[in-house]
Amino acid sequence: MLNILAGIGIAFFGFVLQTSVAGFNRKVTGRIQKRYGPVWYQEFRDIFKLFTKRSVTHGWIFDFGVIMAVGGIIGTAMFVPLTTHTLAFAGYDNFFIYVYLIAVGMLGMAMSASGSGNPLASIGVMRALTTMLAYEVPFMIIALTIINLTGTSSLTEIALAQQGQFNWFAIALPLGGIVGFMSLMGMLGKKPFETYIAPAEIASGPMVEYGGKQLGMLLVMHEITVFIEVTLFMFLFLGGAGSIIVFLIKYVLIYTFANMISSVNGRMKIDQVVLFFYKWPLIMAVTQAIIAIYIGWVI
Amino acid sequence: MASIELLILFTLFAGILAFFASMIRDILGPVVTILASLFIFISIAYFGYNGELDMSTSIIPFVTFGFSYAGLFFAIIVTFIYSMVSFYNPFFAKKYKSPSVYSMFYLFNLVGIIGVFFTSNFLVLFFFFEFLVWTSFFLISFGKSRKAAISYFGFSSVGGFALLYAIFIMHNAAGTFDINTGLAVVSGTDAILVFILFMISAFSKLGAFPLHIWLPFAHGNAPHHFSPVLSGALVKLGAFVGVMGLLRVSVNTYQIDAIGLDLAHYIIAILGALTIVFGTLMAIRQDDAKKLLAYSSMSHGGYILVALTLGTSLGIAGGLYHVVAHGFSSAAAFLAIAAVSKQTGTTKMSELGGMIHKMPVTYIVYLIAIISMAGIPPMGGFVSKWLIFQAVIDQGLIFVAIAVFFGSIGSFLYVFRPLAALFLGQELPRYKGKIKEAPYFMMLPMVIFSVLIIYTGVFPEFFLDFINNIVVEVGAAPITLSNGVIYILNGTLYPSLIAAAFAVGVVIALIIFLVFPKSRKVDLMDTYTSAEFIYTEELLHYSNNFYAPLERLYEKYINIMENFYIGVSKKVNQLGRVFRYYFFTNKPEITVFWIIILMMALLLGGDLL
Repeated sequence: MLNILAGIGIAFFGFVLQTSVAGFNRKVTGRIQKRYGPVWYQEFRDIFKLFTKRSVTHGWIFDFGVIMAVGGIIGTAMFVPLTTHTLAFAGYDNFFIYVYLIAVGMLGMAMSASGSGNPLASIGVMRALTTMLAYEVPFMIIALTIINLTGTSSLTEIALAQQGQFNWFAIALPLGGIVGFMSLMGMLGKKPFETYIAPAEIASGPMVEYGGKQLGMLLVMHEITVFIEVTLFMFLFLGGAGSIIVFLIKYVLIYTFANMISSVNGRMKIDQVVLFFYKWPLIMAVTQAIIAIYIGWVI
Repeated sequence: MASIELLILFTLFAGILAFFASMIRDILGPVVTILASLFIFISIAYFGYNGELDMSTSIIPFVTFGFSYAGLFFAIIVTFIYSMVSFYNPFFAKKYKSPSVYSMFYLFNLVGIIGVFFTSNFLVLFFFFEFLVWTSFFLISFGKSRKAAISYFGFSSVGGFALLYAIFIMHNAAGTFDINTGLAVVSGTDAILVFILFMISAFSKLGAFPLHIWLPFAHGNAPHHFSPVLSGALVKLGAFVGVMGLLRVSVNTYQIDAIGLDLAHYIIAILGALTIVFGTLMAIRQDDAKKLLAYSSMSHGGYILVALTLGTSLGIAGGLYHVVAHGFSSAAAFLAIAAVSKQTGTTKMSELGGMIHKMPVTYIVYLIAIISMAGIPPMGGFVSKWLIFQAVIDQGLIFVAIAVFFGSIGSFLYVFRPLAALFLGQELPRYKGKIKEAPYFMMLPMVIFSVLIIYTGVFPEFFLDFINNIVVEVGAAPITLSNGVIYILNGTLYPSLIAAAFAVGVVIALIIFLVFPKSRKVDLMDTYTSAEFIYTEELLHYSNNFYAPLERLYEKYINIMENFYIGVSKKVNQLGRVFRYYFFTNKPEITVFWIIILMMALLLGGDLL
């Protein structure tokens, strides 16, 4: 019971943290584009404003999907470790939970979007799923390498292995680190892989029909998703975090770095995204896996 | 105590009874199938689970039965799916020319199944195997296409005769038709040959690459209420043969040290991987919902193959758990599609839309089934896929892993398509006010399947405990389970905890949703259309060519295997024509040609030698 409360606390912490970092990054993007950018708590304002607004619904599946989306993401966030010893369910932080339980949330959102009856939303969902097909496979190959090397699929134990037996995997598996970061860009929906959100192209993709509290809830979901994904990357490649300060520093650095790359890039077409990920990242991932597992060269 | 022999005789008798009962009234035959198949499932499951099945024979000559956990496991799963799907029979009885024959063969199918899974004699196994193929051939031909049934029969016969050859080789080596002795005695080159033949048989039943052509064809065209058993149950026969070939025949070709696998097993794993990729890519581009699910069955067959080839306790358990998880979810999904097709008369996604507003229960059933198929927690498919992933990672099979992960993510894509195009989206005017939810009697098996899918995902201990018996039976170490937690070499999984976390998350989300002001309900047509005025639902329904940008990337290559088989058949045809031209003809010039050849041979014969 206490563990579940702790889990809810972590999910809430993740929401607050990511929303602040995202607000801060709007300022960073602004500075890169020679603007001032909004205040750091602008994202909070946006979300809370949406919750109080009037809204429309397109039937029960439209609402049910949103609830399932937020529920799935909160459920996933409850498993996220903050540091190698601060987590709600010690020992059960299996890597695959993050990859697949997150999918419940995604499915809920996709279902809700399609249930709105708007074809633009369905197109957005199609793009999101196709992008997922692209970035996930190279990422999973690198995850395979890491789990095979460390002999565990527990996220905290992988992080602990990097503090003792191995270097950070971003260094120990340099190709893998690059692939992991590219996949992270895809997961976060950052340019050049942000086709499925594509502001101003297909009326904001899956989100086109939302307003009011439904949109607010989906924004909450988005923030927690980003929190999970960035933390996953940190624990897999950057040695996790020993204390909460280290966690915050690494977190802000990873997200800001991804955002900076995003803000100077253009957007790929959806088939280009697929072709891209199945070309270089996959080749690099497989090469890295062969070098690390079959030959045994790990820096 | 239940005697297998009596069960078989009972089923045969019930089949004949169903035939004559249908003569009196159409509905009676299907009712007999329901009662008989339920009775068989309950007696096998209850007595089998308690170890009280009687294997002795006294009435049927030559036939001997023997107990194995693998056989019992498959028999329980398959008879369960048969008994559940039989609830659909009364609703489709009137659609066919001879419903009495359908009911009879449905039960005869069960005869074959009980025989295959419980016999201890190879020849009897072959007999029941062929009996099963033969009866299901007639059942498939009740559907839309005769050709599909012929294709099924052709490929299955190849599998059956491969099995027969393997049996003869083993009989040669062991001198007996006993299954356990045969599998244990065979060794050396014989073992490799037996292994290959067993694999041909398993591939043809599972519909694995490259013997997959029949599967989507037969699944897509079989009667709507037969596709669920075809995909959920009958195809699993291939997995049963696979268990025999992969786990009990000891092949020694060349041990690949880096991955700790025999070369023969690695080749099968690669073929399984190709099956996954091919099935996934083809499923993504189908328009017919049943064909889509058929290709997905193919790709899941690949998972089972890959898992079984690994031969570790993790792989075996994952593969067998996948048999359960996929059996349930695929049967449930096919049943949902069958219910839709019963109400609307089509399974084409481009002709359907917005079914959710009229068939919400069917929708929920389909949703749960596809969550499990895609391997998302908290459903059964996640547990099995997790075991398979861990097994593959453990062995470090990189190239197989690409396919395994690709298929897993790809399944999100294809299972979402019927969801979006068929159930969600605009409610098409041609169905408005005309259709209603499926009858309660049809909902019953669907709901039972859904409950089981969730059960296998939240509390996997019951099934895994049983599977552990099989794992021990084939000589591997059982998986450690305690209090619902699965402990394996490189990971720990607590499925109930995941489900609990998800439930807590949903409750929180629900509270957030309810706290804030209520939304105004608007019509589905009342959407953002970039200031266009659109009044037709069809124009606002996105269901055709759903993944067009992705499909464009590989649509050039999809017919490679079909073209290969067509090429082979053309070549065989040409060869036949050559033979006919030279040997079976009454043309004078050919006769003269042969006379000249003969004379030359006679004249030169001595010199050449």
